[in-house]
Amino acid sequence: MRLTKNIWVLFLIIITGAGWVGIDNRYFKPTPVKFQVPKGWPQPVYDFSKNPLTEEGILLGRKIFYDGRLSKDGDFSCGSCHQQFGAFNTYDHPLSHGFNNSLTTRNAPGLFNLAWQKEFMWDGGINHLDLQPLAPITAENEMAETIENVVNKLRSDKEYRKLFKAAFGDELINTQRVGRALSQFLLQLVSSNSKYDKVMRGEASFILPEQLGYEIFKKKCASCHSEPLFTDYSYRNTGIPIDPVLNDLGRMKITGNSSDSLKFRVPSLRNVALTFPYGHDGRFFSLISVFDHYRKNMVPNAVTDPLLKNRLPLSNFEVGQLTAFLYTLTDSVFIKDPRFAAPGAGNNGKPPRDIHP
Amino acid sequence: MRTPAALLYMILLIAVTTGFTAAGKPHLPQKKITLFFHHKLGNEELVLSSPVKNILGETITVEKFKYYVSNFSVTDTRGNTVVLPVQYFLVDEANSLSKTIILTVPDISISSIGFLLGVDSTRNVSGVQTGALDPSNGMFWTWNTGYIMAKLEGSSDASASAGHRFTFDIGGFRNGINAARMIHLDTSGTGKQEQIHITADLNRWFKGSSEIRIAETPVCHNSGALAMKIADNYSHLFSINP
Ligand code: HEC
Ligand code: HEC
Repeated sequence: MRLTKNIWVLFLIIITGAGWVGIDNRYFKPTPVKFQVPKGWPQPVYDFSKNPLTEEGILLGRKIFYDGRLSKDGDFSCGSCHQQFGAFNTYDHPLSHGFNNSLTTRNAPGLFNLAWQKEFMWDGGINHLDLQPLAPITAENEMAETIENVVNKLRSDKEYRKLFKAAFGDELINTQRVGRALSQFLLQLVSSNSKYDKVMRGEASFILPEQLGYEIFKKKCASCHSEPLFTDYSYRNTGIPIDPVLNDLGRMKITGNSSDSLKFRVPSLRNVALTFPYGHDGRFFSLISVFDHYRKNMVPNAVTDPLLKNRLPLSNFEVGQLTAFLYTLTDSVFIKDPRFAAPGAGNNGKPPRDIHP
Repeated sequence: MRTPAALLYMILLIAVTTGFTAAGKPHLPQKKITLFFHHKLGNEELVLSSPVKNILGETITVEKFKYYVSNFSVTDTRGNTVVLPVQYFLVDEANSLSKTIILTVPDISISSIGFLLGVDSTRNVSGVQTGALDPSNGMFWTWNTGYIMAKLEGSSDASASAGHRFTFDIGGFRNGINAARMIHLDTSGTGKQEQIHITADLNRWFKGSSEIRIAETPVCHNSGALAMKIADNYSHLFSINP
């Protein structure tokens, strides 16, 4: 009888103890956010299980994205080079401005639909979205900071400690959490509300030139710029001649294989009307100069993509229709979405008159 | 009636307690071993910022020497190998604490230890890591993401690069250009099993499978052929002090 009683007491102690462990976690309750996959799109490649989306995490990521303290002199936030009115490219700039009047060596692409992307940068050198921020933070011609300093700056800010606690459960601030918070924000940047999308959903219809352009596109472009993301994320040599100043060999820099010489990732063409200038180094000022590259100016060589060995013949008529189609890829909801704007800033989706930092 | 009830609770209690131990610890008794890393150039103790001649006759002043060690295993006298839970350590000449590593191992008679000099490819493709692998430790390439497995930097009159610097940042995890190296060291000759002294002789960095002359290649910043050559050299870096 006494034994039974003792065991009961022990049992109760264990149960209450276990209960406390549970309660401790219950204080931390961020609001989960479900990632919406647009209808008909493939599953994203980002592993959300390692970094579950929460309202608090996204809010924190957005604050960091627009915080100039990530750079050495405080002038350059992620948002200074990735501008919402340009679908998060550097609007109207072949190359972007960085620390101490420097320039980047590549064109800043628009940022959207990153959840479907496995590798980042024009050469695919970055193999995880969480790692992406480390490159601009440490690059001398971008933010020119050290990771350590950035983390320390955030740690010393009471507001950030509060936000990290809300997002991750405690005040610890480290590289991993900065990367994850930024990813949570970047993953929200889904662009799927262009006229093209509405036509595909049966909510709108193409006018004739757009329809004709779409047909030409499916024949001549879609093997690389494949729907619905308008890229297959492969690396291709489009016969783009090397720029003797930048001397950028593209994918070969990453793999060391000469067969990857001058290969660059196929860029998405969503929002392409906004993301000029074009090409990995911004050498093409307009869509017309891209078309002229494909039909006249490209210099095919041994590693040029087989699809482009004989260049890509396009008549003026086709160029006109293709242009009409490409303009249907602009997502004006996306570029005005207040959830993506700088905290507290108004946003009308229009570029300001003078956009130089 | 009473006895069976008591018995039932007894069984429950035993189940719960053994359940806890099973989840918390492996069955073998454990012990701790301590690894001490010593950095040398031939017979000379390595001293940062002080010039010394290497095996190829080039005078070098080392400013930084650090490397990752991970994926430890121990092998007993009968040849059974136990792979330890994966841990990562950054050994840094500038931080004497980092040169002592304590491992929890099964209580077996150890005749050799194995570890990876570097970081396995899994950790190179899994996002931002913490602790020793935190990219803020400066052992990470951000533009071609991946870990620097080992870093040797300093200056030498033999170097024709700016400031007579030499910079060997050795990394790369992709197939064919993976710069991590498996190291196996026979510890059977050491007196005390629980204290293993390991010497890294930098002469072997310069002369191992091949010769690395600062006069010819003062800089390695990339994965690829040169990094692989140096990695092959540093696969011979370590030996056990009896
Ligand atoms: C000085 C301008 C500049 C700043 C500041 C900057 N970026 Fe970028 N970003 C670029 C450029 C240029 C590229 C393309 C570089 C390349 O491909 O080599 C790029 C590429 C990217 C990409 C990859 C896109 C793709 O399609 O592969 C992401 C994601 C990104 N930046 C996010 C960020 C984040 C997050 C920050 C802040 C931590 C940031 N950027 C700060 C200029 C900048
Ligand atoms: C063989 C694959 C391939 C085909 C086919 C192809 N492209 Fe491209 N496209 C690329 C690659 C790769 C780039 C990036 C080139 C660079 O910057 O070096 C690119 C760049 C572009 C750009 C610049 C986008 C930007 O944001 O910088 C536009 C616009 C474009 N292509 C439109 C088209 C159109 C329209 C067609 C069909 C007429 C087409 N492409 C066919 C691979 C292809």
